[in-house]
Amino acid sequence: MSATHAVLGLLLNKPTYPYELGNQLERRLGPSWAVNTGQLSQIIKRLEKEGLIERVGGATGARDDRRIFAITEAGIQEFERWFSTSAPRGARLPRRPLLVKVSLAGPQRLTEALQQIDSYEDECTTELARLTSEQAKIVDGPIVRADDEFLRLALAENIIEKEGQLEWTKLARERVSWLLEQNAIWPSTRGRAGAANDEARGAREELFRDMAAERHERPKPGKRGRDSAA
Amino acid sequence: MPPDRVGPNDPRRSRGLWDDAEVILRLENVSKRYARKGDDKIALNGISLELRRGQMMGVYGSTGSGKTTLLHVAGGLETPDRGTVAYKGERLDQMSGAQLRRHRRREIGCVWAGKPWIAGLSVLEQVQLPLLLDGCDHRVAQRAARKFLLACEAGHCIDVDPEDLSDGERQRVAIARALVTEPRLLVADGAVSNLSGVEQEAIMALLGSLAHDAKVAVLIADPSARAMIGANPILYMRDGKLAGTDTATAQAKVYHLPTAGSRRSAADA
Repeated sequence: MSATHAVLGLLLNKPTYPYELGNQLERRLGPSWAVNTGQLSQIIKRLEKEGLIERVGGATGARDDRRIFAITEAGIQEFERWFSTSAPRGARLPRRPLLVKVSLAGPQRLTEALQQIDSYEDECTTELARLTSEQAKIVDGPIVRADDEFLRLALAENIIEKEGQLEWTKLARERVSWLLEQNAIWPSTRGRAGAANDEARGAREELFRDMAAERHERPKPGKRGRDSAA
Repeated sequence: MPPDRVGPNDPRRSRGLWDDAEVILRLENVSKRYARKGDDKIALNGISLELRRGQMMGVYGSTGSGKTTLLHVAGGLETPDRGTVAYKGERLDQMSGAQLRRHRRREIGCVWAGKPWIAGLSVLEQVQLPLLLDGCDHRVAQRAARKFLLACEAGHCIDVDPEDLSDGERQRVAIARALVTEPRLLVADGAVSNLSGVEQEAIMALLGSLAHDAKVAVLIADPSARAMIGANPILYMRDGKLAGTDTATAQAKVYHLPTAGSRRSAADA
Protein backbone atom coordinates (compact mmCIF):
# COMPACT_ATOMS: atom_id res chain seq x y z
CA MET A 1 0.00 0.00 0.00
CA SER A 2 1.07 3.56 -0.54
CA ALA A 3 1.56 6.20 2.09
CA THR A 4 -1.65 7.97 0.99
CA HIS A 5 -3.83 6.70 3.78
CA ALA A 6 -1.07 7.16 6.32
CA VAL A 7 -0.95 10.83 5.34
CA LEU A 8 -4.73 11.09 5.75
CA GLY A 9 -4.43 9.46 9.16
CA LEU A 10 -1.80 11.93 10.25
CA LEU A 11 -3.95 14.86 9.16
CA LEU A 12 -6.91 13.43 11.05
CA ASN A 13 -5.78 15.00 14.31
CA LYS A 14 -4.47 18.36 13.23
CA PRO A 15 -3.62 20.35 10.12
CA THR A 16 0.09 20.60 9.41
CA TYR A 17 2.87 21.36 6.90
CA PRO A 18 3.85 18.71 4.36
CA TYR A 19 7.39 18.73 5.77
CA GLU A 20 6.04 17.82 9.17
CA LEU A 21 3.99 15.02 7.59
CA GLY A 22 7.12 13.49 6.09
CA ASN A 23 8.89 13.67 9.42
CA GLN A 24 6.04 12.10 11.32
CA LEU A 25 5.64 9.29 8.83
CA GLU A 26 9.12 8.04 9.56
CA ARG A 27 9.18 8.91 13.22
CA ARG A 28 5.89 7.29 14.07
CA LEU A 29 5.70 4.42 11.62
CA GLY A 30 9.33 3.41 11.23
CA PRO A 31 11.99 3.65 8.54
CA SER A 32 10.05 1.50 6.07
CA TRP A 33 7.56 4.37 5.72
CA ALA A 34 10.13 6.98 4.86
CA VAL A 35 9.17 8.98 1.76
CA ASN A 36 11.18 11.62 -0.03
CA THR A 37 9.99 15.14 -0.68
CA GLY A 38 9.06 14.41 -4.27
CA GLN A 39 6.89 11.43 -3.36
CA LEU A 40 5.24 13.37 -0.55
CA SER A 41 4.52 16.31 -2.82
CA GLN A 42 2.86 13.97 -5.32
CA ILE A 43 0.70 12.40 -2.61
CA ILE A 44 -0.37 15.84 -1.40
CA LYS A 45 -1.19 17.02 -4.91
CA ARG A 46 -3.30 13.96 -5.62
CA LEU A 47 -5.15 14.15 -2.31
CA GLU A 48 -5.85 17.83 -2.86
CA LYS A 49 -7.09 17.20 -6.39
CA GLU A 50 -9.43 14.48 -5.14
CA GLY A 51 -10.74 16.88 -2.51
CA LEU A 52 -9.66 14.72 0.41
CA ILE A 53 -7.48 17.45 1.89
CA GLU A 54 -7.51 21.22 1.57
CA ARG A 55 -5.26 24.14 2.21
CA VAL A 56 -6.17 25.97 5.40
CA GLY A 57 -3.35 28.45 5.91
CA GLY A 58 0.30 29.18 5.87
CA ALA A 59 2.28 31.42 3.60
CA THR A 60 0.75 32.30 0.24
CA GLY A 61 2.47 30.97 -2.86
CA ALA A 62 2.63 28.00 -5.14
CA ARG A 63 5.04 25.92 -3.08
CA ASP A 64 2.98 23.45 -1.12
CA ASP A 65 5.70 22.98 1.51
CA ARG A 66 4.89 26.45 2.76
CA ARG A 67 1.19 25.71 3.15
CA ILE A 68 -0.80 24.03 5.87
CA PHE A 69 -3.17 21.25 4.90
CA ALA A 70 -6.19 19.85 6.71
CA ILE A 71 -8.34 16.83 6.07
CA THR A 72 -11.78 17.42 4.52
CA GLU A 73 -15.06 15.67 5.29
CA ALA A 74 -14.56 13.51 2.20
CA GLY A 75 -11.07 12.73 3.44
CA ILE A 76 -12.34 11.56 6.80
CA GLN A 77 -14.89 9.32 5.07
CA GLU A 78 -12.18 7.88 2.83
CA PHE A 79 -10.00 7.19 5.85
CA GLU A 80 -12.89 5.48 7.68
CA ARG A 81 -13.67 3.39 4.62
CA TRP A 82 -10.04 2.33 4.28
CA PHE A 83 -9.79 1.63 8.01
CA SER A 84 -12.79 -0.69 8.05
CA THR A 85 -11.87 -2.69 4.95
CA SER A 86 -9.43 -5.52 5.48
CA ALA A 87 -6.37 -5.75 3.27
CA PRO A 88 -7.98 -6.53 -0.11
CA ARG A 89 -5.24 -8.59 -1.68
CA GLY A 90 -4.50 -10.57 1.44
CA ALA A 91 -0.95 -11.07 2.58
CA ARG A 92 1.03 -10.30 -0.53
CA LEU A 93 4.27 -12.20 -0.72
CA PRO A 94 7.29 -10.07 -1.41
CA ARG A 95 9.25 -10.67 -4.59
CA ARG A 96 12.87 -11.49 -4.04
CA PRO A 97 15.06 -10.22 -6.87
CA LEU A 98 17.97 -12.27 -5.57
CA LEU A 99 16.10 -15.52 -5.95
CA VAL A 100 15.26 -14.62 -9.53
CA LYS A 101 18.94 -13.99 -10.19
CA VAL A 102 19.99 -17.24 -8.54
CA SER A 103 17.47 -19.38 -10.36
CA LEU A 104 18.21 -17.81 -13.71
CA ALA A 105 21.97 -17.83 -13.18
CA GLY A 106 22.49 -21.09 -15.04
CA PRO A 107 24.97 -23.77 -14.12
CA GLN A 108 28.05 -21.80 -15.12
CA ARG A 109 27.27 -18.89 -12.87
CA LEU A 110 26.18 -20.72 -9.75
CA THR A 111 29.41 -19.73 -8.03
CA GLU A 112 28.66 -16.12 -8.84
CA ALA A 113 25.17 -16.62 -7.46
CA LEU A 114 26.71 -17.88 -4.23
CA GLN A 115 28.72 -14.66 -3.97
CA GLN A 116 25.52 -12.66 -4.43
CA ILE A 117 23.88 -14.63 -1.65
CA ASP A 118 26.87 -13.78 0.55
CA SER A 119 26.68 -10.07 -0.15
CA TYR A 120 22.91 -10.15 0.37
CA GLU A 121 23.51 -11.72 3.74
CA ASP A 122 25.98 -8.95 4.59
CA GLU A 123 23.40 -6.32 3.64
CA CYS A 124 20.76 -8.05 5.75
CA THR A 125 23.12 -8.20 8.74
CA THR A 126 23.96 -4.50 8.45
CA GLU A 127 20.31 -3.57 8.08
CA LEU A 128 19.35 -5.76 11.01
CA ALA A 129 21.97 -4.10 13.19
CA ARG A 130 20.67 -0.67 12.14
CA LEU A 131 17.07 -1.57 12.92
CA THR A 132 17.99 -3.06 16.27
CA SER A 133 19.92 0.04 17.32
CA GLU A 134 16.98 2.15 16.14
CA GLN A 135 14.70 0.13 18.32
CA ALA A 136 17.07 0.42 21.27
CA LYS A 137 16.86 4.22 20.99
CA ILE A 138 13.25 4.12 22.13
CA VAL A 139 13.57 4.59 25.85
CA ASP A 140 10.73 3.91 28.22
CA GLY A 141 10.09 6.94 30.41
CA PRO A 142 7.68 7.44 33.28
CA ILE A 143 5.04 8.54 30.79
CA VAL A 144 3.68 5.84 28.47
CA ARG A 145 3.67 7.12 24.90
CA ALA A 146 1.51 5.21 22.44
CA ASP A 147 3.65 6.41 19.54
CA ASP A 148 6.77 4.85 21.03
CA GLU A 149 5.03 1.54 21.36
CA PHE A 150 3.78 1.59 17.78
CA LEU A 151 7.21 2.57 16.44
CA ARG A 152 8.71 -0.28 18.39
CA LEU A 153 6.16 -2.62 16.83
CA ALA A 154 6.87 -1.28 13.34
CA LEU A 155 10.58 -1.82 13.81
CA ALA A 156 9.90 -5.29 15.21
CA GLU A 157 8.07 -6.18 12.01
CA ASN A 158 11.10 -5.10 9.96
CA ILE A 159 13.51 -6.89 12.26
CA ILE A 160 11.59 -10.14 12.14
CA GLU A 161 11.44 -9.90 8.37
CA LYS A 162 15.19 -9.31 8.13
CA GLU A 163 15.84 -12.21 10.46
CA GLY A 164 13.76 -14.36 8.18
CA GLN A 165 15.75 -13.20 5.18
CA LEU A 166 18.99 -14.01 7.00
CA GLU A 167 17.66 -17.48 7.72
CA TRP A 168 16.79 -17.77 4.06
CA THR A 169 20.29 -16.83 2.89
CA LYS A 170 21.69 -19.65 5.01
CA LEU A 171 19.28 -22.11 3.43
CA ALA A 172 19.96 -20.69 -0.04
CA ARG A 173 23.72 -21.02 0.37
CA GLU A 174 23.38 -24.60 1.57
CA ARG A 175 21.08 -25.61 -1.26
CA VAL A 176 23.01 -23.84 -4.03
CA SER A 177 26.29 -25.35 -2.81
CA TRP A 178 24.60 -28.72 -2.84
CA LEU A 179 23.30 -28.09 -6.33
CA LEU A 180 26.82 -27.29 -7.49
CA GLU A 181 27.86 -30.84 -6.70
CA GLN A 182 24.91 -32.46 -8.43
CA ASN A 183 24.35 -33.49 -12.00
CA ALA A 184 21.20 -31.46 -11.98
CA ILE A 185 19.11 -31.06 -15.09
CA TRP A 186 18.91 -27.41 -16.08
CA PRO A 187 16.49 -25.88 -18.51
CA SER A 188 18.67 -25.74 -21.57
CA THR A 189 20.17 -22.38 -22.32
CA ARG A 190 21.91 -21.21 -25.39
CA GLY A 191 25.43 -20.76 -24.19
CA ARG A 192 27.76 -17.85 -24.58
CA ALA A 193 28.45 -19.11 -28.06
CA GLY A 194 24.85 -18.40 -29.06
CA ALA A 195 24.26 -18.50 -32.79
CA ALA A 196 27.86 -19.55 -33.34
CA ASN A 197 26.73 -23.06 -32.39
CA ASP A 198 24.96 -23.54 -35.69
CA GLU A 199 28.07 -22.48 -37.56
CA ALA A 200 30.06 -24.83 -35.36
CA ARG A 201 27.77 -27.74 -36.16
CA GLY A 202 28.32 -27.28 -39.89
CA ALA A 203 32.06 -26.93 -39.44
CA ARG A 204 32.13 -30.00 -37.25
CA GLU A 205 30.18 -32.17 -39.64
CA GLU A 206 32.52 -31.29 -42.48
CA LEU A 207 35.67 -31.69 -40.43
CA PHE A 208 34.60 -34.99 -38.90
CA ARG A 209 33.66 -36.35 -42.30
CA ASP A 210 37.14 -35.48 -43.53
CA MET A 211 38.65 -37.15 -40.49
CA ALA A 212 36.60 -40.28 -41.06
CA ALA A 213 37.78 -40.42 -44.66
CA GLU A 214 41.33 -40.28 -43.28
CA ARG A 215 42.26 -38.04 -46.11
CA HIS A 216 44.94 -37.07 -43.68
CA GLU A 217 46.16 -33.77 -44.85
CA ARG A 218 48.74 -34.01 -42.16
CA PRO A 219 50.79 -30.84 -42.34
CA LYS A 220 54.22 -31.65 -43.65
CA PRO A 221 56.84 -31.57 -40.94
CA GLY A 222 59.27 -28.73 -41.42
CA LYS A 223 62.95 -28.76 -40.68
CA ARG A 224 62.31 -29.16 -37.00
CA GLY A 225 60.59 -32.50 -37.54
CA ARG A 226 63.39 -34.62 -36.21
CA ASP A 227 62.21 -38.12 -36.88
CA SER A 228 60.00 -37.51 -39.90
CA ALA A 229 61.80 -40.29 -41.74
CA ALA A 230 61.07 -42.83 -39.02
CA MET B 1 21.90 -51.84 -40.02
CA PRO B 2 25.60 -51.06 -40.25
CA PRO B 3 27.13 -49.30 -37.26
CA ASP B 4 27.54 -46.11 -39.29
CA ARG B 5 23.79 -45.70 -39.57
CA VAL B 6 23.00 -46.08 -35.90
CA GLY B 7 23.22 -42.99 -33.72
CA PRO B 8 25.70 -43.01 -30.86
CA ASN B 9 22.96 -43.10 -28.26
CA ASP B 10 20.95 -45.79 -29.97
CA PRO B 11 20.42 -48.78 -27.70
CA ARG B 12 20.89 -50.99 -30.77
CA ARG B 13 24.56 -50.16 -30.55
CA SER B 14 25.59 -53.31 -28.81
CA ARG B 15 29.10 -54.66 -28.90
CA GLY B 16 28.44 -56.87 -31.86
CA LEU B 17 27.96 -53.91 -34.17
CA TRP B 18 31.65 -53.13 -34.20
CA ASP B 19 32.76 -56.60 -35.14
CA ASP B 20 33.60 -55.58 -38.68
CA ALA B 21 35.33 -52.34 -37.79
CA GLU B 22 39.09 -52.09 -37.71
CA VAL B 23 40.67 -52.74 -34.33
CA ILE B 24 42.46 -49.59 -33.24
CA LEU B 25 43.67 -50.70 -29.85
CA ARG B 26 44.10 -54.15 -28.42
CA LEU B 27 45.22 -54.79 -24.87
CA GLU B 28 46.02 -58.33 -23.87
CA ASN B 29 46.53 -59.37 -20.29
CA VAL B 30 48.11 -56.04 -19.37
CA SER B 31 49.47 -55.62 -15.86
CA LYS B 32 51.15 -52.70 -14.23
CA ARG B 33 52.27 -52.14 -10.68
CA TYR B 34 53.82 -49.17 -8.96
CA ALA B 35 56.57 -49.89 -6.46
CA ARG B 36 55.82 -48.25 -3.17
CA LYS B 37 57.45 -48.42 0.20
CA GLY B 38 56.04 -51.37 2.09
CA ASP B 39 53.55 -52.66 -0.43
CA ASP B 40 53.26 -52.42 -4.17
CA LYS B 41 50.21 -50.81 -5.69
CA ILE B 42 48.72 -52.97 -8.40
CA ALA B 43 47.27 -50.52 -10.87
CA LEU B 44 46.38 -52.91 -13.68
CA ASN B 45 45.78 -56.59 -13.14
CA GLY B 46 45.47 -58.57 -16.36
CA ILE B 47 43.38 -56.23 -18.47
CA SER B 48 42.27 -57.27 -21.94
CA LEU B 49 40.17 -55.12 -24.21
CA GLU B 50 39.59 -54.25 -27.80
CA LEU B 51 38.70 -50.81 -29.07
CA ARG B 52 37.54 -50.42 -32.63
CA ARG B 53 37.31 -47.61 -35.12
CA GLY B 54 34.34 -45.37 -34.34
CA GLN B 55 33.73 -46.86 -30.93
CA MET B 56 33.42 -44.87 -27.73
CA MET B 57 34.29 -47.03 -24.76
CA GLY B 58 33.60 -45.85 -21.24
CA VAL B 59 35.43 -46.98 -18.12
CA TYR B 60 34.14 -46.01 -14.72
CA GLY B 61 35.23 -46.84 -11.22
CA SER B 62 36.27 -45.12 -8.00
CA THR B 63 39.59 -43.31 -7.67
CA GLY B 64 42.49 -45.70 -7.37
CA SER B 65 40.76 -48.36 -9.45
CA GLY B 66 43.39 -48.00 -12.20
CA LYS B 67 41.42 -46.01 -14.78
CA THR B 68 44.13 -43.41 -15.30
CA THR B 69 46.86 -46.03 -15.60
CA LEU B 70 44.75 -47.87 -18.15
CA LEU B 71 44.41 -44.69 -20.19
CA HIS B 72 48.11 -43.93 -19.86
CA VAL B 73 48.99 -47.41 -21.11
CA ALA B 74 46.45 -47.15 -23.93
CA GLY B 75 47.88 -43.80 -24.95
CA GLY B 76 51.47 -45.00 -24.88
CA LEU B 77 52.33 -42.68 -22.01
CA GLU B 78 53.35 -45.61 -19.84
CA THR B 79 54.57 -49.08 -20.69
CA PRO B 80 52.98 -52.02 -18.93
CA ASP B 81 55.00 -54.51 -16.85
CA ARG B 82 53.37 -57.48 -18.57
CA GLY B 83 51.04 -58.04 -21.48
CA THR B 84 50.82 -56.52 -24.92
CA VAL B 85 49.45 -53.23 -26.15
CA ALA B 86 48.89 -53.05 -29.88
CA TYR B 87 47.83 -49.95 -31.81
CA LYS B 88 46.59 -50.92 -35.28
CA GLY B 89 48.59 -54.11 -34.92
CA GLU B 90 51.80 -52.35 -33.89
CA ARG B 91 53.15 -53.31 -30.49
CA LEU B 92 53.53 -50.19 -28.36
CA ASP B 93 55.38 -52.12 -25.70
CA GLN B 94 58.09 -52.98 -28.18
CA MET B 95 58.58 -49.50 -29.59
CA SER B 96 61.73 -47.51 -29.00
CA GLY B 97 61.53 -44.24 -27.13
CA ALA B 98 61.66 -42.18 -30.33
CA GLN B 99 58.99 -44.31 -32.01
CA LEU B 100 56.77 -44.02 -28.98
CA ARG B 101 57.17 -40.26 -28.85
CA ARG B 102 56.29 -39.98 -32.52
CA HIS B 103 53.29 -42.25 -31.93
CA ARG B 104 52.10 -40.04 -29.09
CA ARG B 105 52.57 -36.89 -31.14
CA ARG B 106 50.60 -38.13 -34.11
CA GLU B 107 48.24 -40.95 -33.31
CA ILE B 108 46.94 -40.19 -29.84
CA GLY B 109 44.89 -37.32 -28.54
CA CYS B 110 44.66 -36.79 -24.79
CA VAL B 111 42.15 -34.84 -22.73
CA TRP B 112 42.71 -34.57 -19.01
CA ALA B 113 40.54 -33.11 -16.28
CA GLY B 114 41.28 -29.79 -14.70
CA LYS B 115 43.47 -27.09 -16.21
CA PRO B 116 45.86 -28.72 -18.61
CA TRP B 117 47.24 -25.36 -19.74
CA ILE B 118 50.69 -24.15 -20.43
CA ALA B 119 50.57 -20.86 -18.58
CA GLY B 120 51.00 -17.74 -20.64
CA LEU B 121 49.82 -19.12 -23.97
CA SER B 122 46.63 -17.90 -25.63
CA VAL B 123 43.82 -20.30 -26.48
CA LEU B 124 44.89 -20.44 -30.12
CA GLU B 125 48.50 -21.10 -29.15
CA GLN B 126 47.48 -23.90 -26.81
CA VAL B 127 45.63 -25.64 -29.60
CA GLN B 128 48.42 -25.11 -32.15
CA LEU B 129 51.07 -26.48 -29.86
CA PRO B 130 50.79 -30.19 -30.74
CA LEU B 131 51.26 -29.36 -34.42
CA LEU B 132 54.13 -26.98 -33.78
CA LEU B 133 55.86 -29.64 -31.68
CA ASP B 134 55.48 -31.95 -34.65
CA GLY B 135 57.40 -29.47 -36.76
CA CYS B 136 54.41 -28.13 -38.62
CA ASP B 137 54.41 -24.73 -40.30
CA HIS B 138 53.10 -21.98 -38.03
CA ARG B 139 50.42 -20.75 -40.41
CA VAL B 140 49.15 -24.21 -41.24
CA ALA B 141 48.97 -24.98 -37.53
CA GLN B 142 47.04 -21.80 -36.84
CA ARG B 143 44.51 -22.55 -39.55
CA ALA B 144 44.02 -26.09 -38.26
CA ALA B 145 43.66 -24.82 -34.70
CA ARG B 146 40.91 -22.39 -35.72
CA LYS B 147 39.13 -25.11 -37.64
CA PHE B 148 39.12 -27.50 -34.71
CA LEU B 149 38.17 -24.85 -32.16
CA LEU B 150 35.19 -23.92 -34.30
CA ALA B 151 34.17 -27.55 -34.72
CA CYS B 152 34.30 -28.05 -30.96
CA GLU B 153 32.01 -25.05 -30.44
CA ALA B 154 34.85 -23.11 -28.88
CA GLY B 155 35.33 -20.61 -31.70
CA HIS B 156 34.25 -17.81 -29.39
CA CYS B 157 37.02 -18.72 -26.93
CA ILE B 158 39.84 -17.67 -29.23
CA ASP B 159 39.92 -14.12 -27.94
CA VAL B 160 39.34 -15.06 -24.32
CA ASP B 161 42.08 -15.33 -21.72
CA PRO B 162 42.43 -19.07 -20.95
CA GLU B 163 42.06 -18.23 -17.25
CA ASP B 164 38.61 -16.76 -17.89
CA LEU B 165 37.15 -19.80 -19.64
CA SER B 166 34.38 -21.72 -17.96
CA ASP B 167 34.99 -25.38 -17.14
CA GLY B 168 32.99 -26.50 -20.15
CA GLU B 169 34.75 -24.13 -22.53
CA ARG B 170 38.08 -25.28 -21.16
CA GLN B 171 37.22 -28.89 -21.95
CA ARG B 172 36.17 -27.93 -25.47
CA VAL B 173 39.49 -26.20 -26.03
CA ALA B 174 41.27 -29.24 -24.57
CA ILE B 175 39.38 -31.51 -26.98
CA ALA B 176 40.24 -29.24 -29.90
CA ARG B 177 43.88 -29.43 -28.88
CA ALA B 178 43.74 -33.21 -28.61
CA LEU B 179 42.18 -33.47 -32.07
CA VAL B 180 44.30 -30.99 -33.96
CA THR B 181 46.81 -33.66 -34.98
CA GLU B 182 43.90 -35.79 -36.24
CA PRO B 183 44.63 -38.79 -34.06
CA ARG B 184 42.85 -42.12 -34.50
CA LEU B 185 42.55 -42.68 -30.77
CA LEU B 186 41.38 -40.22 -28.15
CA VAL B 187 41.85 -40.95 -24.47
CA ALA B 188 39.88 -38.73 -22.11
CA ASP B 189 40.40 -38.98 -18.38
CA GLY B 190 37.81 -37.21 -16.26
CA ALA B 191 37.09 -34.83 -19.12
CA VAL B 192 33.52 -34.30 -17.92
CA SER B 193 34.05 -34.76 -14.19
CA ASN B 194 33.72 -31.16 -13.06
CA LEU B 195 30.91 -30.15 -15.35
CA SER B 196 27.24 -29.49 -14.77
CA GLY B 197 24.67 -31.92 -16.15
CA VAL B 198 23.99 -29.99 -19.33
CA GLU B 199 27.64 -29.32 -20.10
CA GLN B 200 28.45 -32.94 -19.38
CA GLU B 201 25.82 -34.02 -21.85
CA ALA B 202 27.08 -31.55 -24.46
CA ILE B 203 30.71 -32.66 -24.15
CA MET B 204 29.71 -36.33 -24.27
CA ALA B 205 27.65 -35.58 -27.38
CA LEU B 206 30.72 -33.97 -28.94
CA LEU B 207 32.84 -37.02 -28.11
CA GLY B 208 30.09 -39.33 -29.34
CA SER B 209 29.93 -37.47 -32.62
CA LEU B 210 33.71 -37.67 -32.82
CA ALA B 211 33.48 -41.45 -32.61
CA HIS B 212 30.39 -41.75 -34.75
CA ASP B 213 31.19 -39.24 -37.49
CA ALA B 214 34.97 -38.89 -37.45
CA LYS B 215 35.46 -42.60 -36.71
CA VAL B 216 37.94 -41.86 -33.97
CA ALA B 217 38.19 -44.51 -31.27
CA VAL B 218 37.41 -42.86 -27.94
CA LEU B 219 38.37 -44.24 -24.56
CA ILE B 220 36.85 -42.22 -21.74
CA ALA B 221 37.22 -42.71 -18.01
CA ASP B 222 35.24 -41.07 -15.25
CA PRO B 223 34.49 -41.86 -11.62
CA SER B 224 30.78 -41.69 -12.34
CA ALA B 225 28.85 -44.09 -14.55
CA ARG B 226 26.28 -41.38 -15.12
CA ALA B 227 28.79 -39.41 -17.16
CA MET B 228 29.02 -42.18 -19.76
CA ILE B 229 26.30 -40.85 -22.01
CA GLY B 230 26.52 -42.55 -25.37
CA ALA B 231 29.46 -44.80 -24.54
CA ASN B 232 29.25 -48.46 -25.46
CA PRO B 233 30.42 -50.67 -23.95
CA ILE B 234 30.62 -49.18 -20.50
CA LEU B 235 33.10 -51.09 -18.37
CA TYR B 236 33.35 -51.09 -14.62
CA MET B 237 36.85 -51.07 -13.21
CA ARG B 238 37.85 -52.12 -9.74
CA ASP B 239 41.23 -52.88 -8.18
CA GLY B 240 42.98 -52.88 -11.55
CA LYS B 241 40.51 -55.30 -13.12
CA LEU B 242 37.65 -54.84 -15.46
CA ALA B 243 34.88 -56.13 -13.27
CA GLY B 244 32.55 -56.90 -16.12
CA THR B 245 31.06 -55.41 -19.23
CA ASP B 246 28.30 -53.83 -17.28
CA THR B 247 26.87 -51.80 -20.10
CA ALA B 248 23.24 -52.53 -19.31
CA THR B 249 23.47 -51.49 -15.66
CA ALA B 250 25.56 -48.46 -16.50
CA GLN B 251 23.23 -47.46 -19.29
CA ALA B 252 20.35 -47.79 -16.91
CA LYS B 253 22.14 -45.31 -14.69
CA VAL B 254 22.93 -43.03 -17.62
CA TYR B 255 19.49 -43.04 -19.14
CA HIS B 256 17.59 -43.51 -15.87
CA LEU B 257 16.14 -46.82 -16.99
CA PRO B 258 14.84 -49.34 -14.51
CA THR B 259 17.50 -51.95 -13.78
CA ALA B 260 15.82 -55.17 -14.78
CA GLY B 261 17.51 -58.50 -15.30
CA SER B 262 15.63 -58.97 -18.54
CA ARG B 263 17.14 -55.84 -19.99
CA ARG B 264 20.66 -57.08 -19.39
CA SER B 265 20.10 -60.46 -20.97
CA ALA B 266 18.44 -58.77 -23.93
CA ALA B 267 21.43 -56.49 -24.45
CA ASP B 268 23.92 -59.34 -24.21
CA ALA B 269 21.98 -61.62 -26.52
